[in-house]
Amino acid sequence: MPLDGAARRAFEAVLDPQDVLSDPVRCRVYECDGLTGHRVVPELVLLPRTAEQVAAAVRVCAEHEVPFVARGAGTGLSGGALPVADGVVIGLNRLNRILEVDPVDRRAVVEPGVTNLDVTRAVAQYGLYYAPDPSSQQVCTIGGNVAENSGGAHCLKYGFTTNHVLAVEVVLPDGSTVTLGSDTGEQQGPDLRGLFLGSEGTLGIVTKVTVRLLRTPETVRTLLADFPSVAAAGEVVSDVVAAGIVPAAVEMMDALAIEAAEEAVHAGYTIGTPAALVVELDGPAEECGSTFEQVRRICEAHGCTRLHIAGSAEERAAIWRGRKAAFAAVGRISPDYFVQDGVVPRTRLAETLDRIAAMSRSAGLRVANVFHAGDGNLHPLVLYDGAAGETARAEELTSAIAELCVEMGGSLSGEHGIGTDKACSMPKMFSRDDLAVMARVRDAWDPQGICNPGKVLPTPRLCGEPGKYRPHPLEEAGVIERL
Amino acid sequence: MLHPTDLKELRDAVLDSSGTLGIAGAGTAADWAGPLGPVDAVLDTTGLAGIVVHNPGDMTVAVRAGTPLRQLQEELAPHHQRVSLDAARVAEGATVGGLVATGDAGPCGLAFGSMRDLVIGVTLVLADGTVARSGGHVIKNVAGYDLAKLLHGSYGTLAVIAEVVLRLHPVPEREATLAVSCSLTEAAELARAVLAGPHEAVALEWLGTTPDAGTLLVRLNGTAAAMDARLDRLRPVLPGAVDGDDRWAEHAAIVRGGPGDAVLRIGVRPSKLPGVLTALPARAITAGLGTGIATVVLDAQDVAAAHETVAAAGGTSVLRRRPAGASVSAWGPPPSALKVLRAVKQSLDPAGRLGPGRFDPWM
Repeated sequence: MPLDGAARRAFEAVLDPQDVLSDPVRCRVYECDGLTGHRVVPELVLLPRTAEQVAAAVRVCAEHEVPFVARGAGTGLSGGALPVADGVVIGLNRLNRILEVDPVDRRAVVEPGVTNLDVTRAVAQYGLYYAPDPSSQQVCTIGGNVAENSGGAHCLKYGFTTNHVLAVEVVLPDGSTVTLGSDTGEQQGPDLRGLFLGSEGTLGIVTKVTVRLLRTPETVRTLLADFPSVAAAGEVVSDVVAAGIVPAAVEMMDALAIEAAEEAVHAGYTIGTPAALVVELDGPAEECGSTFEQVRRICEAHGCTRLHIAGSAEERAAIWRGRKAAFAAVGRISPDYFVQDGVVPRTRLAETLDRIAAMSRSAGLRVANVFHAGDGNLHPLVLYDGAAGETARAEELTSAIAELCVEMGGSLSGEHGIGTDKACSMPKMFSRDDLAVMARVRDAWDPQGICNPGKVLPTPRLCGEPGKYRPHPLEEAGVIERL
Repeated sequence: MLHPTDLKELRDAVLDSSGTLGIAGAGTAADWAGPLGPVDAVLDTTGLAGIVVHNPGDMTVAVRAGTPLRQLQEELAPHHQRVSLDAARVAEGATVGGLVATGDAGPCGLAFGSMRDLVIGVTLVLADGTVARSGGHVIKNVAGYDLAKLLHGSYGTLAVIAEVVLRLHPVPEREATLAVSCSLTEAAELARAVLAGPHEAVALEWLGTTPDAGTLLVRLNGTAAAMDARLDRLRPVLPGAVDGDDRWAEHAAIVRGGPGDAVLRIGVRPSKLPGVLTALPARAITAGLGTGIATVVLDAQDVAAAHETVAAAGGTSVLRRRPAGASVSAWGPPPSALKVLRAVKQSLDPAGRLGPGRFDPWM
């Protein structure tokens, strides 16, 4: 049902009228996030300037039963910020103040519209940093990171957003404001902060975030190593882990991803090598040096064909520039691409990549692989040409890869979220009862069903009626049982 | 007493019983939080024991909830892996499910967090017999709601935990602790210096019977090759420090308390900790100077005022030992999110079957 006049007037009464956008041309800016294949122009876009205005706007939504979608920078890759028809988008970019930096207790309190990197910039003078580092960290916001429980290249050692957020102030779907978590992260009773983090904007809107800061490591050592095969590079990762080493980051790229990245940013990667590994260690100088030497020996034992050790901060930055450029760089070798985000147990990486290669051949589409090898989080890039009518085939391949990850005992998503993109794949990973319990939890927070509806959990409207039950792969393997 | 030994028996036990249910593991935290009210049956989880699957190469383990963590650690040890949790009651046989349900953590929480940071998947049984899972067997996973978080600290009031999947860490080649005699205030200064340096302490705890005199313990984890050099670099920051590897038992003893003691776990901003602790009539203290989490041993009649003192400092508090027979308030002023908690409880356990009394008087 389209927004009625009373609701519009109510929004204009609680916000400055110029902060309520209704012109379809201006609203079109908000029609999608990083998942650009899905677009919905919202009825209204609200741009509050304070947490109180966010709460007031949500109260109007609750009174008039208007669905709302919170949005940060719109860099999400799963359609979590896709607007809802006949609903409003609440843009949080204007809540962008750093409210407090406490170098003694190593924390900062920020509004949701502050970008990830700006938190680190604000605290670097104290020798501190904010650990989660998604590739989009220059533009993505902390509010979006909270919604998605964002990871990044360094989460193998340092964990995810949920491990670095002590408290959040949240506007609930009824417009009231609560604090989840505390100054220490301790929660009296169930860990509601932990449930909220990663709930993809379906349980409320975050208006204030208290983050934990870490001391910048004394030593950081980074190497880039080429290997004759993806399997050889994978064995290096296994051996490093088996040696009891927890690297700060382990990233892998295949030939196609290397080619694209190198042509885009000239970071010193070897074009033509079948696989490259980036391994980074950090910590106290005494320890980091000897452990790094151990990693170097493991690389050599697995037939490393070239080993480049960053000799300066600039060289280290170049290695990371190549890795982080990979997504955008494939645009140079393909008119269009989809990014996947599945996770597999690290020990099944090689097998999974073989399967993806076979699926790529039979679909007749190229797949470039860039991934967080340390934690098994794949980012296959499915390359296609929409103008040549390849879109549907590419979408099918993309979903098939995500579902392959579940079959391998992994997950549909490591860090990009379920959003709109993978909601219909959720029954591959979770049983009807699993999803029903999640829905009950959601209803407890949002009984009206107005808070980012249609995301995360599959709905008949979005996905059709559920088909006949098929056993979960882990069930077939005897790891889990269904009663 | 219901004593299921597998998931099916657990579900049937929940379905076949009616009325209120208490959930008991090893019983090491039975006197924590609010007292369990009169219940029609107690569900003993200790029969749900053992590893379901351990994947050493992936550093994950799925384990039944009634497994004592101590026993799990013994089975992981030959693989040089561990669950990075050193809560005091682990030594007394605390179960994995119980440690999650009580939100417990020990000194190395400074580096590794609490159970919430280590659990990557959960299987639960609701009061209506519904069996559900969330998370999975991989450490990086954002698919669906993280229901394990919801059960962390739920004290058996929302669901029965049947199985958990944990992420593991390598056992460090060497652990070493330095100990310094100092007051709590001096310890706070020393802790600040340690944290400002490159030492990467995994635990930073002061303990004592009065704020004026006690001991600061600083623990490092690392490779055998580098440890001596790291300790050499740490010593000048901690003048007079001696080897303190054997001092952690004293710490655990304070955390556990003794007969007649009331024990309160509190959390405030680390820099506020000395002030808050000095204001409490504590008979013994452990203070996590990096985390802001402390344990105080009190007389039962001082607990209510202690809750208020901590709340006034913006902190959190929960009772971690109730003297037998004493009426002691388990919780302080209710958090702002209480209505969410009540709504979740209403949604998952509408008949109020599970764990009555544990959050008294909040819900």
